Amino acid sequence: MTPTPCTWSCRTLLQWLGFALCAGITSPSWAVPSFARQTGMACAACHTVFPELTPFGREFKLNGYVLDNIKQVTGIDTSARQTLALNSLPPISLMAQISYTHTSTALPDSGLTGALAKDGDLAFPQQVSFFYAGKIADGLGAFVQLTYDGIGDHFGFDNTDIRYAHHWSFGGANDNGHDMIVGITLNNNPTVQDVWNTTPAWGFPYAASSSAPGSSTSAKVDNGAGGFGQSVGGLGVYVWLDDHFYAEISDYTSAIPGGAHPLDSTQANVVQGSAPYWRLAYERRWDRNSLSVGAFGLDANVHPGNGTALAGVTDKFRDTALDVQYQFIGEDHLATFLGTYISEHQTLNASALDGFAANTHNSLKTLKLAGEYYYQRRIGGTVGYFSTRGSADALLYAPATVTGSANNSPDTTGYVLEVNYLPWLNTKLQAQYIGYQKFNGQSTNYDGSGRNAGNNNTMYLLVWLNF
Amino acid sequence: MMKSNHMVALALSTWSFISGVAYGADVAAGDMTDGQKAALHKTIETCGTCHGVNGRSVSPTFPNLAAQQASYIELQLKAFKDQTRADPDAQAYMWGMASPLSDATISALAGYFAAQPAAPGRGGSSALIAQGKHLFEEGVPARQIPPCASCHGAHAAGMATFPRLAGQHAPYLLKQMLVIQSALRTAPVMHGVIKDLTRDQMQALVAYLESI
Repeated sequence: MTPTPCTWSCRTLLQWLGFALCAGITSPSWAVPSFARQTGMACAACHTVFPELTPFGREFKLNGYVLDNIKQVTGIDTSARQTLALNSLPPISLMAQISYTHTSTALPDSGLTGALAKDGDLAFPQQVSFFYAGKIADGLGAFVQLTYDGIGDHFGFDNTDIRYAHHWSFGGANDNGHDMIVGITLNNNPTVQDVWNTTPAWGFPYAASSSAPGSSTSAKVDNGAGGFGQSVGGLGVYVWLDDHFYAEISDYTSAIPGGAHPLDSTQANVVQGSAPYWRLAYERRWDRNSLSVGAFGLDANVHPGNGTALAGVTDKFRDTALDVQYQFIGEDHLATFLGTYISEHQTLNASALDGFAANTHNSLKTLKLAGEYYYQRRIGGTVGYFSTRGSADALLYAPATVTGSANNSPDTTGYVLEVNYLPWLNTKLQAQYIGYQKFNGQSTNYDGSGRNAGNNNTMYLLVWLNF
Repeated sequence: MMKSNHMVALALSTWSFISGVAYGADVAAGDMTDGQKAALHKTIETCGTCHGVNGRSVSPTFPNLAAQQASYIELQLKAFKDQTRADPDAQAYMWGMASPLSDATISALAGYFAAQPAAPGRGGSSALIAQGKHLFEEGVPARQIPPCASCHGAHAAGMATFPRLAGQHAPYLLKQMLVIQSALRTAPVMHGVIKDLTRDQMQALVAYLESI
């Protein structure tokens, strides 16, 4: 067969691959042996099963990643002020993911019209990450991730959270006293600084295929194709009061790696000014249980870019989310429930003007539910449900092979079944099945090219190593 | 919920005890620098993350330390530090936590937590508690199991290196009995005492101990 020039649908497929790649970059969230090396504590101290945090893990993060039990390189000045408190051994670690993805029906060939891609994709590696995760100085710590992406074949800056925290107490020497942590975070992904596993950066599923079809859009605060992860930078301040109340306000602006700098019309989704992010949460702990309820949100004015000037009217996104998390951490039995609902209101004046969107007002609502169970942190599984529903838009969700929508809808719903086996606390063998009830608006012929939602059902096998 | 981490101020209020008594042999109270005080304060806060700054923990994975025998706390911290106590939770949590502690800090921490008011007892099944009380006070003579009270005291408050058991979390006590019985945790006296204790008897004992 003779290769044919890239058609419109082929380009769309390539765009989809780009989306999938972005999703692959933004979705992972890790636990790192760096922290174990620094603290001398096993993974189980901070994690039920990585990367989900225990109450102690949340405290460790809120305190700035600085708890250390290894020899320090120290320095003081002539007034005895400490000028250096550095781990004598750097808290570094490595993560590797090797995966195999099989979709129910093979995807179209990216170069030959009418042909199909190989049915089954081994990613060796899907991803390899290097971490510096731990203390920098007293009160100052960092989680810095550099990632080689085996699908995109490139190396880049990944999730990063640098924070300073200080512990205060006030109110007298009795049970009416108060305990407070105040911290500052500098990070590149809204919610990467969060300590509950109900927010997008650290939410379920903790690992997923980088090559299987997925939802083509997401809210800005979410970690899907439409999210801001790793393309913004922000500074925030948080308060953690009495082990109960959490409040944070952060402000983000675009920090897009690569491409034109200063940012110009060749970039896409460029934040105008800054985008405030807020977070409130309440947690109660009793016996072996913890329950948290919270809310978070993001407001952003965005230039679409993509060939249009970064000037004039903007698109406005207002994200509001609710979340709930319950954990039971027994000696043998561990159970977690995670729930997240994100509502995004979109005012797309710029996109409508530039011909990227048909409507000036759209909405996007996302629901994620997951129930997890583990026996002795060794074997367990998760049942999850996800739903994305939004306004139909003829330009945002146009028909296209695999990635498009025949009825211009982003609606995608389905379930996740996952079984995990951990022969060691830092090694996870995962089998995950994602089944779609609806994909981009319909269950049958959703893309207008004859593909059904069930054709995208995905079996994903993963070897996940942290060392 | 217990206001464990609300008690940093209490930690400070107990400072004179720490610096003046427990820390005494190594660093006299007046000799402690602000830096030493701050370091010990931070260490108490760190311990308090799991055990409660007032020594009363929320999760039964972590034992209450309030009113525990100072000698016992010292002995255990040193056993964690030199890794001679090697049960699963000791390795997971305490080997790392205890590794940087100096003998002076261990003494200060032991004194501090020993001075905190004990956790109140929590009720349970009255039949189980009664059975546990009988076992605690009488042992099982037919199987040469001596009364627990003979070492741990009539009120389970402990004596020197024999730990306080009263008010302790039942799941924690049960786990310790099991790891001692299986020799995952070394405790020379206890190995002989509980080798023939059944799990049902253990559950009765810990129900009683948690209740007082």
